Amino acid sequence: MSIIRKVSKILQNQNNLVRVYSLLVIFVIIIGIATLPLISYNENQLYPKSVDMKSPLNPYDRGGEPFEKAEVKAQYPENSRYLGYVTAYLTPFSLFISYNTLYAGTTIVSHPGGIIDEILYNTRGLDTIIETSILFIAFAIAMFLFRRNEKE
Amino acid sequence: MYELENINIEGQVVTFIPFGDIVGYLTPYTAILFIFAAVFTIIALISKPEKQVDIAFGGDAYYTKNVSVKQMRFQRFMAAACGLATMGGVLSGDVFNFTLFTAMVGITNIGIVASIKNRHILDNAYEYGILAMVGTLPLFAGAAIIVATTGTLSMWILFTPLVTVPLVAKLLLVIGVLAEGMAPVYVAKAEITRAPGAPFILMVHVSSLVLFLRVIEIVISM
Repeated sequence: MSIIRKVSKILQNQNNLVRVYSLLVIFVIIIGIATLPLISYNENQLYPKSVDMKSPLNPYDRGGEPFEKAEVKAQYPENSRYLGYVTAYLTPFSLFISYNTLYAGTTIVSHPGGIIDEILYNTRGLDTIIETSILFIAFAIAMFLFRRNEKE
Repeated sequence: MYELENINIEGQVVTFIPFGDIVGYLTPYTAILFIFAAVFTIIALISKPEKQVDIAFGGDAYYTKNVSVKQMRFQRFMAAACGLATMGGVLSGDVFNFTLFTAMVGITNIGIVASIKNRHILDNAYEYGILAMVGTLPLFAGAAIIVATTGTLSMWILFTPLVTVPLVAKLLLVIGVLAEGMAPVYVAKAEITRAPGAPFILMVHVSSLVLFLRVIEIVISM
């Protein structure tokens, strides 16, 4: 068999496409590993992330004092004029938690009125909207498939 | 206010839409893609589903295929969502934003194909679903490598000659979009175009075509 026939015999079956694609991904990742010495981390990050173990809001601490403007980096500060005003705000309850323990940062960030990350909700707010839309579409498909056999 | 430095490929910016750090834009090139996607979304929204007739050879008998209102409604919703995601991907001026819109196109394509109740087609929808999920790995890995090596995600800065984006990030981005846009292969292979509800299948083709053209523009400009 010629090579074209061999290749087309594999590609004509759509059940093989996932395997072919996975091989392609592995191939590109091998190229990536081979060229890894040429790639270097850029220290001047637009969205910096640091972990301060002394902070009660660790690892979600974005700095700043409540009711004062915090320093939040943005690519285009002219597009988000009110950046930095809410990132340090905590409700009285979460402020109480943060005064008393160093280990409840995740609890504070995950309950209503906790830390509002302005990179997520202000400068990159559109991304957050699309992420939730993807989730809702996935739910809509699952719901449709699950309830398809019900009689109306 | 915002200007592209390299205008050989797509021309100068016609209009831009700022969303904080994500500044979407239209150039003559992407405006054509945007209008193309918009026209097909409107066609999918206003058209009724096709009801095919199969004729049994050697007799007067024929079968008519029925499309329930429920299925039509769901497919129309998915086609509209797919069109909106495609238009968002065309408009986007940010790499991570673009990958998110691409992932959304992949999900809605699964929805369009999976709503047809036919064992053969559902098998293919399952295969495509796996492929689309595997494809999110290189897609988001590409965006992650871009932000780690350049420190930014905005295309306005990535398109300037000062910033070099590593080759592997570009490759990962391209094969990520390849997986999300692979749906037409399954559509052709499983003959889904002949299944009931045909006009909505159009969006699968339109979205993948437009996304390929857009990702090529992004990768060449970077």
